[in-house]
Amino acid sequence: MFEEASEVLENMLKWSFPLSLVLFLVLVCPLRAEAAHEFSVYRMQQYDLQGQTYGSRNAILNTEARTVDAEVLSRRCVMVRLADFSYEKYQKALRQSAGAVVIILPQNMSTMPQDIVQQFMELEPELLATETIVPVYFALEDEELLSIYTQTQISSSSQGSSSAAEVLLHTATANGFQMVTSGAQSKAVSDWAITSLEGRLTGAGGEDLPTIVLVAHYDSFGVAPWLSYGADSNGSGVAVLLELARLFSRLYSYKRTHAGYNLLFFLSGGGKFNYQGTKRWLEDNLDHTDSSLLQDNVAFVLCLDTLGNSDNLHLHVSKPPKEGSPQHALLRELETVAAHQHPDLKFSMVHKKINLADDTLAWEHERFGIRRLPAFTLSHLESHRSPARHSIMDMRSVSSLEGLSRNTKVIAEALARVIYNLTEKGVGGDLQIFTEQMVQEDQLASLVDWLTAQPRAAQLLDKDSSIVNTLEYYLSRYLKDVKRHLVRADKRDPEFVFYDQLKQTMNAYRVKPAIFDLLLAVCIASYLGVLYLAVQFLLCLYNLFLLLFI
Amino acid sequence: MTLFHFGNCFSLAYFPYFITYKCSGLSEYNAFWRCVQAGATYLFVQLCKMLFLATFFPTWEGGAGVYDFVGEFMKATVDLADLLGLHLVMSRNAGKGEYKIMVAAMGWATAELIMSRCIPLWVGARGIEFDWKYIQMSFDSNISLVHYIAMAAVVWMFTRYDLPKSFRLPVTILLGLCVYKGFLMELFVHVFLLGSWTALLVKAVLTGAISLCSLFLFVTLVHSN
Repeated sequence: MFEEASEVLENMLKWSFPLSLVLFLVLVCPLRAEAAHEFSVYRMQQYDLQGQTYGSRNAILNTEARTVDAEVLSRRCVMVRLADFSYEKYQKALRQSAGAVVIILPQNMSTMPQDIVQQFMELEPELLATETIVPVYFALEDEELLSIYTQTQISSSSQGSSSAAEVLLHTATANGFQMVTSGAQSKAVSDWAITSLEGRLTGAGGEDLPTIVLVAHYDSFGVAPWLSYGADSNGSGVAVLLELARLFSRLYSYKRTHAGYNLLFFLSGGGKFNYQGTKRWLEDNLDHTDSSLLQDNVAFVLCLDTLGNSDNLHLHVSKPPKEGSPQHALLRELETVAAHQHPDLKFSMVHKKINLADDTLAWEHERFGIRRLPAFTLSHLESHRSPARHSIMDMRSVSSLEGLSRNTKVIAEALARVIYNLTEKGVGGDLQIFTEQMVQEDQLASLVDWLTAQPRAAQLLDKDSSIVNTLEYYLSRYLKDVKRHLVRADKRDPEFVFYDQLKQTMNAYRVKPAIFDLLLAVCIASYLGVLYLAVQFLLCLYNLFLLLFI
Repeated sequence: MTLFHFGNCFSLAYFPYFITYKCSGLSEYNAFWRCVQAGATYLFVQLCKMLFLATFFPTWEGGAGVYDFVGEFMKATVDLADLLGLHLVMSRNAGKGEYKIMVAAMGWATAELIMSRCIPLWVGARGIEFDWKYIQMSFDSNISLVHYIAMAAVVWMFTRYDLPKSFRLPVTILLGLCVYKGFLMELFVHVFLLGSWTALLVKAVLTGAISLCSLFLFVTLVHSN
């Protein structure tokens, strides 16, 4: 019998060898376990601008979670909710060389009280300024993440305060969490192209017409690129520019209203990174081409930046306009329109000299000013350092559109008065050129909605992105000669370097501490011992039974 | 949660089998190969059951929360094939009653352990994520060992020609309970909404009761002759 059996066994093994090899390989390969919770995390900015590095350097994570009140934070992932976030706690985490920091933001930012939002907006530039090797992530809160956070908080705050027996009991019931991110270490993105778009409306009446340039940068900035929607800064500017393009193209399509000014519209990219798009565009147009609208007769350049929901409007200039110049005409028209048609609007001029010693330029018009083109920026913000220009809190839900549509009307009216020379012809300040139907609030609303539906950080918009394509399409409906202009960083001395791995998936695994395994092993060993004894006992009993019955 | 945890679960699952094998005296009878044969029969019977279920039973298209009592009942009835399989194994082995029962039960239960528990433990218990279900799975395998021993004993008793009339009914009832135990467990869990540990406890109690009754009947039968 055994010979047969061994033969059979041998045959079986021969045939099943390939199968067992496959099985072995399958079993030994690395595991991809299911996680307690998987969620997207958005990393803090990481970029180099003109050789200076900013932001968080690192991207990989595989550490245990703790909340910020725990004693030991080193090499742990510190989780903080926005409501509890403060700069001191952040510094504390960094000082103790934490493994990572995860800031949990509420799904709906409008539920947060205004002072917390304001405080965070002011902290954002400080977070970026401290260059750190610790990865900082932002995550949107949902139920499971909240439960993970509360469980971690309970276990973090109870450490170091209880006796050994309590700790032992605690380990049996506690749930630790291991946070692991997918994805590789962040590295610089090579050959990133920042796209800018231009289009024009040619004036009536031959050569050598003066040109008015209208500029707005379409990208946004925040402490996390994937969360920077930039509703006000600069979604509002882009919306106004597109509306003006639409309005003036309608006017220019009729012979009677075709004015004697060329209008050049420019949507620049990389605006938040020291206006890279504008800088290169100016270089190309002024230095490298023979004839361009910018080289001849430029009346003025009007930059639109943050024109949303406020009752103030400031015209920022680098030097006050001289009497009789077109810039002065625009300034005067803006004052007239504001005074007569919108008395609740407070308009003023702000004079700030260009400071070339600063790391970055203040407003976009300074780029033009450096090349000796007369330029100014219209904004409702008084200072370029305002935190509203660089915040992830700048979202659609927060901004209303009344202010935006009123500002659009003011700008459109003032521009029209300049190009048709209405004040000299004696037209009073009360006359509204654009009636209600022309400046449409729904149009503005849909533009802003579309712009804020996705993040518009410069690192996320390459030349094939849908935003750039849609903007190009929109401009080509109303303007002629719509062209793209690409900016790539110089190879040897790059002005800007972007890094990748800005959005990752983080997995939270439920883990038990190591002592738990030992405890379990002891319990199982004792259980097996008891079982063995019980079986022996039963056997004795059984044999006894047999003896008694037989 | 790491290899250590896998080792814990595996030892919890496997050691009772080892203990039973050693202490029941099977090793003296060189019964290893017979146990393997019983295991092979288990595989064959499971395969036939699966084919049968897949061919003749439609998939349940009701809602997620509604439990298909009739359907599950019919499926559990197919488990009668288990009894036939055990009977087949036992009839091919010559020897005393206890020997036959133990060989059949050990082989059957070990095959079930390897087939249905090893891979989930290997893949799941080794991962980073911790879950109590692996420990529960190992306990469950202990309980099924006892269950199969009881089931084999009841089948053996059922097929004896010298079974007294008074025993027929209890043995048949026990046989039915053995087959439908899975179904009953699911019913309890669904109706009373038991947690996983409570369900395990109930299962252990049920199996304990069945095995005690069958042990009692077996002892009485064997030693009344």
